[in-house]
Amino acid sequence: MEVSLEKISVTFGKEQAIRDVSLRSEPGEMVAVIGASGAGKSTLFRALTRSVPLSSGSVEIGGRNLYELPKRELKGVRRNIGTIYQAYNLVPQLPAGVNVALGEIGGMGRMDALRTFLTGPGANLTHRVRAALEQVGLGEYAAVRTTNLSGGQQQRVAVARLLVQRPSVVLADEPFAAVDPVTTEKVLETLTSLNGAGATLLVNLHDVEIARRFPRIVALKDGRVAYDGSSEALTEEKLAEIYRGDPQGAEDKPEPSPYPDPARITEGRDGVAAH
Amino acid sequence: MASPHTEQRTTIGGALPRYNWKMSLTILVVLGLTGWSVWGTEFDLIELLTGAAPAERFVSEMFPPDLSLATLQTTGAGILETFQMSFLGAFIGALVALPLAAIGTEAAPTVGASTGERLLRAIPYHVARFILNVFRSVPDILWALIFVVALGLGPFPGTLALAVHSAGVLGKLYSETLEAVPSRPVEALRATGADGLGAFLFGRLPQAASPFASLSLYQWECNIRSATILGFVGAGGIGQQILISMNLFDYPKVATLVGATIIVVLLVDRFSAAVRRRLVY
Repeated sequence: MEVSLEKISVTFGKEQAIRDVSLRSEPGEMVAVIGASGAGKSTLFRALTRSVPLSSGSVEIGGRNLYELPKRELKGVRRNIGTIYQAYNLVPQLPAGVNVALGEIGGMGRMDALRTFLTGPGANLTHRVRAALEQVGLGEYAAVRTTNLSGGQQQRVAVARLLVQRPSVVLADEPFAAVDPVTTEKVLETLTSLNGAGATLLVNLHDVEIARRFPRIVALKDGRVAYDGSSEALTEEKLAEIYRGDPQGAEDKPEPSPYPDPARITEGRDGVAAH
Repeated sequence: MASPHTEQRTTIGGALPRYNWKMSLTILVVLGLTGWSVWGTEFDLIELLTGAAPAERFVSEMFPPDLSLATLQTTGAGILETFQMSFLGAFIGALVALPLAAIGTEAAPTVGASTGERLLRAIPYHVARFILNVFRSVPDILWALIFVVALGLGPFPGTLALAVHSAGVLGKLYSETLEAVPSRPVEALRATGADGLGAFLFGRLPQAASPFASLSLYQWECNIRSATILGFVGAGGIGQQILISMNLFDYPKVATLVGATIIVVLLVDRFSAAVRRRLVY
């Protein structure tokens, strides 16, 4: 599906997380979104599922204005948006298989949800769950409590959930930030295969090396689009500009003072940056 | 810090504050309330000490406890009844509490929902909260009085009283648990199209299940203790036996009944604590 942001702004209290961002992606496109922490990447993604209020602008998914849809139709659009996060965000107490089956939750009505809750996933769904778990190499783990799995395994469960959901838009919010290199390759492979099947793929990344493997890179800085173009055209100078002032890429920063300016502590930027 | 410099500390802000006016005011208020309450309740340690003789006589008359077969049978029956009342009360209470807690849980509304939609959501929420508050704020012994008047003497009104009060307490604790559950997994479900019910069943409920079990067991413990008292207003259980024996001045029998009660309460406490420790979160 086509994803289009039209001059959106998002404000948390006094902090402007997103300022006037416009962005379009064609169906089936693969886009890496990069930027320093606090640049607004995650907020941008939350706007794409109507999980954060906009102060201005509009979001269109598949040509439909997300923020003006009535509840039922919103469910229909969200059903086609798959998400995957840095912190996995699976329900830790449920077995891995049930978490995978929850890829189908958007397609369930109330009665279906209740029936699935009481009697477990139906035969067809169970079959798809098994196939998805096999595909990510966790075929044996369907009945294991998700919290007992390692981080990398949990991220693969999250990917299996996407496989069951078969979304037309995939939003991956720093999916590799907390997993090992092998899992990274496996997850990236599956995401690419979903993209090959026609899904639009938007990935938030902190790692520029991985981002360079994407045909299109969008960079955010201080809530604005600082770069939008091909990987080749993204020069090192441009990158340095994008990451200037990032506390985590502290190469060009002066040694931090052990007694920080008290006015800076109260700025409370982290509340925004963490999401 | 290896060697703190005293001179520097004074430049930061002088000595550390020991007392401030808020602390002083708090102490004054607590002392004032204590004095006022001592006066109001005619609290008198001297009277307690001079009254020791009658108390001693009462206690000595309880020994040896009456261990005749008839008394043991009455005790056993009373204990069983108390146990059944407390369990059924907690169970029905939990059943009633769960849906009310689910409705009375403040979940984040859909972003961009209209004022009308928000209001429509607020009504069931406040109704559920109000019902739970009424259930909880009326003590179980008062509920027992009401039900005894309505239904007559016996364990049934006592069980109902426990059920209603338990529903109120559990409902409040359940909904607080549901609200405190990590919200990211729930938001993730909503972002992929789960509706309120789906997000509740698969997002909030599984995360709250273990605390629910723990809270319910604890409520059962409380019910055992309450059920002992409810007999005093005629609502069944061992309390009724204790009251009858007291009125007949049959203190050895009272001793047996009270002793059995203490043992059962301790056993249930231990059992419940052991189960709660083993719950996996």
